[in-house]
Amino acid sequence: MTTPLGEVLDGRRTAEVHKAARTLLKEPLLLARGSHADEFRLVRQHASELRDWFDRNTGWSLRVDAEAARLARTPGTLADPTHPAREASRGRAPFTRRRYVLLCLALAALERGEAQIALGRLAEQVVLDAADPHLAAAGVEFTMERRDERLDLAAVVRLLLRHGVLRRVAGEEEAYVSGSGDVLYDVQRRVLAGLLAARRGPSTIITEDFEDRLAELTAESALDSDELRFRAIRQRLTRRLLDDPVLYYEELTDEELVYLTRQRAFLTARIMELTGLVPEVRAEGIAMVDPHDDLTDVRMPEQGTHGHVTLLLAEHLAAMDGEVSRADLERKVQELAAEHGAFWSKSAKQPGAEAELVGQALERLTALGLVAATPKGIVPLPALARYAVGETVVTEPGPASSRTPRAPRTPRTPKRKAPQS
Amino acid sequence: MTSPASGPRGSEHAPFIHLTVPNAALYRQVMRAFLAAKERFAVHLRPEDVHAALAPEYRPTDPDAVVKALDSLVEWGNLRADPDTSRVTAVEDFYRKRFIYQLTQAGEAAEQALSVYDEALGRRGALQAVALHDIVTQLRALLVIVAEREEGGPDAAKAHLALSALTGRFEALAENARAFMGSLQRTMDLHGVEVEVFLAYKDRLIQYLERFIQDLITLGGRIAVLIGELEQDGRAGVLLRLAAAREAADAAPEDAESAEEQAYERWAAKWSGLTAWFVSADGRESQARLLRGRALGAIPQLLAVVRQLNERRAGRSDRSADFRTLARWFAEAPDDEARHRLWRAAFGLYSARHLTVDADTLAERTARPVPASTSWAEAEPLRISPQLRRTGSYERRGRARRVRDRSEERHRLAEIAARQAEEIAAARARLATDDTIRLSTVGELDPVAFGLFLQLLGDALATWRPGMTNTVATSNDGSMEIRLTALADGTTAEIRTPGGTFRGPDHLIEITDLTRPGRAGRPPTGRDD
Repeated sequence: MTTPLGEVLDGRRTAEVHKAARTLLKEPLLLARGSHADEFRLVRQHASELRDWFDRNTGWSLRVDAEAARLARTPGTLADPTHPAREASRGRAPFTRRRYVLLCLALAALERGEAQIALGRLAEQVVLDAADPHLAAAGVEFTMERRDERLDLAAVVRLLLRHGVLRRVAGEEEAYVSGSGDVLYDVQRRVLAGLLAARRGPSTIITEDFEDRLAELTAESALDSDELRFRAIRQRLTRRLLDDPVLYYEELTDEELVYLTRQRAFLTARIMELTGLVPEVRAEGIAMVDPHDDLTDVRMPEQGTHGHVTLLLAEHLAAMDGEVSRADLERKVQELAAEHGAFWSKSAKQPGAEAELVGQALERLTALGLVAATPKGIVPLPALARYAVGETVVTEPGPASSRTPRAPRTPRTPKRKAPQS
Repeated sequence: MTSPASGPRGSEHAPFIHLTVPNAALYRQVMRAFLAAKERFAVHLRPEDVHAALAPEYRPTDPDAVVKALDSLVEWGNLRADPDTSRVTAVEDFYRKRFIYQLTQAGEAAEQALSVYDEALGRRGALQAVALHDIVTQLRALLVIVAEREEGGPDAAKAHLALSALTGRFEALAENARAFMGSLQRTMDLHGVEVEVFLAYKDRLIQYLERFIQDLITLGGRIAVLIGELEQDGRAGVLLRLAAAREAADAAPEDAESAEEQAYERWAAKWSGLTAWFVSADGRESQARLLRGRALGAIPQLLAVVRQLNERRAGRSDRSADFRTLARWFAEAPDDEARHRLWRAAFGLYSARHLTVDADTLAERTARPVPASTSWAEAEPLRISPQLRRTGSYERRGRARRVRDRSEERHRLAEIAARQAEEIAAARARLATDDTIRLSTVGELDPVAFGLFLQLLGDALATWRPGMTNTVATSNDGSMEIRLTALADGTTAEIRTPGGTFRGPDHLIEITDLTRPGRAGRPPTGRDD
């Protein structure tokens, strides 16, 4: 009540910076128009502070103009395949090979083109570019004569619409897919210009090996002094802590581990300052956990059938010692269905739905760094233990109390030796 | 080739052949050397002279290359070769066929044509701010001449001269403006222009445009006013007629009449051209105004080009090629996982992803921090809402929660409020005095009454000014009034309360409870000392 005005303003400012930074971490390409207009305003307002922070701590550049804000992010690890491009429609299916290729060809055509383009014209240009002998050799070809090809193109265009590269002027993609019409777009050249976040232009990289290409795409310039090397390590670690659910010490190089051990408090404090994430430091690694439960694209625990199955399977896996086969998990889901099925969606209770339920749950747990797939089955990772339920003695959930205190837990003996690096 | 008279080969435009063959640059340089020599009145050149005259970047290391070029030019008819009859100092030179070369008429004509061509293409066009000043000066001169004439001293020569100068200047201005418009358009349309060249040009152009527009606004207005003055009472017509008469004076006697008429018409046309340039009339905008619009419009257009260039520069490599390369990489990637990784690395369009923690768990961790060396398995797991765990949903589905009955709480609150009101009323009654009394006779007060008394005293003392001996104040809520008079006898008053004793210099006070009808205070109780 008697807080000085300065403190109130500081608190508000901090809250605003938090919100702006969190939004950028969720949506690295933020448009001035559309659903994030308020957050965009905040980003613009605190642009210089955010730019400094990201530049110093992560090496990511932040570009803000009147139309869009773009945080050019390079992931801290190149090994994570759980962030695919997804369809912008409800299904959110990950992109396929054809769609990725199509997306790049469409971008190439837009880059060369004028300020406006029709979908039909874009298709023509893509077909022309697809005649590239390298693509033909890789077995990719487009004619845009079949409906499924046009569907692919429509999915690509919707992704571009979502990211604001295109703005629809007239027409509907459905009409194009069914072959009865065309669509006209404005091309937002500034957004397009900032779309690629790679440090080096891919056309300047000549190596043929996929992993090398990936590495060169994100390579830092020569790190020829200790200071630069340390900065690179710090930035890499900060990127991982900012982006990824769990950072396991096992995955780090010796050099990185030494640096992290020494600078852990500093690194996590900086991230906490910017985002409000809280470090959960354990013997096996660090998770920056989110008290506000929104700085993420995959939630856990979450409501709904899939979230529920994921949670129950996580508990089950956490109690297991070592590898579990998918078949076991599917059996477990059948058991769970008997107990909890009343709360599940209809399709989840149909016989044969287990495989799909297990698949979805595992996808989620993998994305969160809680389990890993092996040739034979699934291995729980250390952080999964945070979802363990001791003896699941839930006191009778009376109708009035939705949050009864849990029964006192008996201290559990560690189930496995923690992998120490 | 050996024949000095060997004529053009084939077509009659053979002298232009050298533009379209390999080594065209060298040929052009050679021809330029001849033109430069001609300007210095040197007609004949020897191969070694030509070799020396070539700019270093075009000069072949082998002098024979120059001889070959010269011979080719002779064949096309650009040059003429004559045997060199000068003395030689070496035997081999003597046996070598030697020639001196000079431009042919055709060659010279071709060069002239080419230079006109270059100039026309190379000309950027320029707006002449100076021309505007000149026009103002000439118009002023014309006004003076008209005035002189009105005084009887008609000076046809002066009028003619001034008008000629005016129209000459004006024509140059108009011509330049036209060229400027054309070149401006070309600049705007530039595709694939060198960025540095353009940026340098842009700065100059914008400065220039700004200055010119300023001049056009100020001087254009003045010129329009001057033209208006000259057109009053047909003064301009008189001047034009004078000039025409002077021009016609030279005509042959039989054409004299028609010549003057023709000359007048010519002058009148020029004059109306000038007027149309600077004066808007009949809903038609003056040229000057149009030009101003164009020049102003040029600036945003220019900026658009700059923006385009910057966008192109935003990515250092050719973006279109980048995307095509990426398309290939996606096509060649070993599997879908690799493609997802490539997408994440190249576009960076992914969301951060974090585990969550609820407030209860967090609070417990703050209270009892977990050592960093604890493994996840040993640490207390996350608290998960039993409701969520059982049903997969935080909220109970179906039945809505019953609205709680809060009448009991409300009743209790009402009781408390009533009791407080009662206490305060009692305190007021306790404080109210029937008459003026000494503070020292107030005696003991209970906490509620004492609190009220302190407030009242504070209100009264707040009105106290130096030199005052008595004051009247009303409490903040308007429920009581206090009169306070200072005493000079130096006595001390004491008020006892359960919490302690209040001491201070004695005063005379009178407290009235304004809320009580009739204001008759009960006699203060508890005066037990």
